[in-house]
Amino acid sequence: MSTWIVVAGDPAIGNLVETARALGGQVTAAVVGPRAVADTIAAGGVDRVVWLGDPGQAPVEAYASAVADAVGAAGGAVLGASRPGDRVLLGAVAARLQAAVLTEASSVSAEGDGLVVTRTICGGIAEETVMVAGPVALVLDGGPVPAASGAAPVEEVTASPLGITVVETNASSFEQVDLSAAARVVGIGRGLKAQGDLAMIEALAEASKAELGCSRPVAEGLNWLGKDRYIGVSGQHIAPDLYFAVGISGQLQHMVGVRGAKTIVAINSDPNALVFKEADYGLVGDLYQIVPALTEALK
Amino acid sequence: MKIVVAYKWAPNPQDASVGADGVVDWSRAKSGISEYDPVAIELARRLADATGGEVIGLTAGPKSVDASMARKAALSRGFDRAVIVADDALEGAGTTELAAVLAAAVRHIGEVNLVITGDSSVDVGARMVPVVLAGQLGWPAVGEVTAVSVQAGLLRVERDIAGGTQVLEISGPAVLAASTNAAVPRIPGMRDILAAGKKPVETLEVTALDVPAGGTTVSVTHTSRPDLKARKQQMIDTADPAAAAAELVDALRSAGVL
Repeated sequence: MSTWIVVAGDPAIGNLVETARALGGQVTAAVVGPRAVADTIAAGGVDRVVWLGDPGQAPVEAYASAVADAVGAAGGAVLGASRPGDRVLLGAVAARLQAAVLTEASSVSAEGDGLVVTRTICGGIAEETVMVAGPVALVLDGGPVPAASGAAPVEEVTASPLGITVVETNASSFEQVDLSAAARVVGIGRGLKAQGDLAMIEALAEASKAELGCSRPVAEGLNWLGKDRYIGVSGQHIAPDLYFAVGISGQLQHMVGVRGAKTIVAINSDPNALVFKEADYGLVGDLYQIVPALTEALK
Repeated sequence: MKIVVAYKWAPNPQDASVGADGVVDWSRAKSGISEYDPVAIELARRLADATGGEVIGLTAGPKSVDASMARKAALSRGFDRAVIVADDALEGAGTTELAAVLAAAVRHIGEVNLVITGDSSVDVGARMVPVVLAGQLGWPAVGEVTAVSVQAGLLRVERDIAGGTQVLEISGPAVLAASTNAAVPRIPGMRDILAAGKKPVETLEVTALDVPAGGTTVSVTHTSRPDLKARKQQMIDTADPAAAAAELVDALRSAGVL
């Protein structure tokens, strides 16, 4: 079996390399991005790198067709990280191969000429194991940048990009954060009445040495926090030691993002809130009274 | 300008139940226009109104996607007309098959300048149909789109990226997936719902389209419920917030998480 990995400028593909290696056979990475990224990946445990060049003023998405050309008719599996640019490249390859697309895979193994894949489906409510025969595109968690372990050849191919260019890039006004690395997280939801009240939640986060996270509406509707703080099905999936769900009702779309937490504390005024079913400790009441009291107790 | 919005008629997993054997029971979950699709429709409508264009709703699925209620729900949200690929052969269709059918329908409609989709579907949520659709058409795909306009014959697209925003220019047709908060969708009124019944709809079966054959079989061998951690579900009396806080802090300390 021959396995391909598509890379859209971010070398954090350790999990993909590991998965591809476990399938056996040759592993080739098709890389769009600066030469340094191609070199990092060449050193990271693959057999061969096909480098499509530095995109310059074009976004990585401009190289989707070129990546599909590079992968060509190579059967087997094609892997991509669950990031926006990587998904675009993988989608183009899947279209070219008419390959089945499987996302949210937790385990992938080879069996005969096919693959056995276990994955979460329907927004996290169920899991299935499937037997796949034929070309398949797998979207997986990228994992870390692979450690240097070899030096695969880097083969440069000339690629012609699609007609799309970047004319402007602006940094977010929000400070960036990596919630997946946090040992403790305070998540805030629609129970918070005003943006100014975030100070009270930040005080709790500080007292408990936690990062601040939120449910989707707080980041995407209200725009009170940066998008990288949104925890849920299409946002961050976190597994901290301790998670405080504050003013969060516990809708499935949010909870699938925090189910890896070792301990969950829920604070909500509605005793019937779904969040209490998935909490280790539940406090029914007004968060405006409980949060300051908790902050004080933690000091 | 001819804008297609690819939308989905789908149920919400929040309303589905999962048996001990992991089989999802959708019978109590009512279908609707997928959660984020109205945002895509709104973006398309505003762009069409600004450029003097047309917005065509496109969906593909089993026959139920062409039910009268499903048609009205879609057409009342701002489409000028709809193309509905309704075929029971699409029951349980995977991402690639669905994207191939949508791509064939876009070619069937002809001279389409832009396809806009929602961020993700409410039932599957893989965010892959737009990118595979773009691949089938050979067009660029861009996700997390917050705004779109036409300037000097080019599409000008704003999108969110990790740590900021970006403005892109696209010279040809493209597939854009709208960010969930790109626009606040209008709520259809009685007048819109009545008008929806009069809008033209073309209903097609898959065989009427030129869809490439898929070469992969995917067979489910096992289903299960997610292995959720057992939670203590210990409730702490909050009559006295300070006492409740102290009790929680004690409990967390003795559990070794503080």
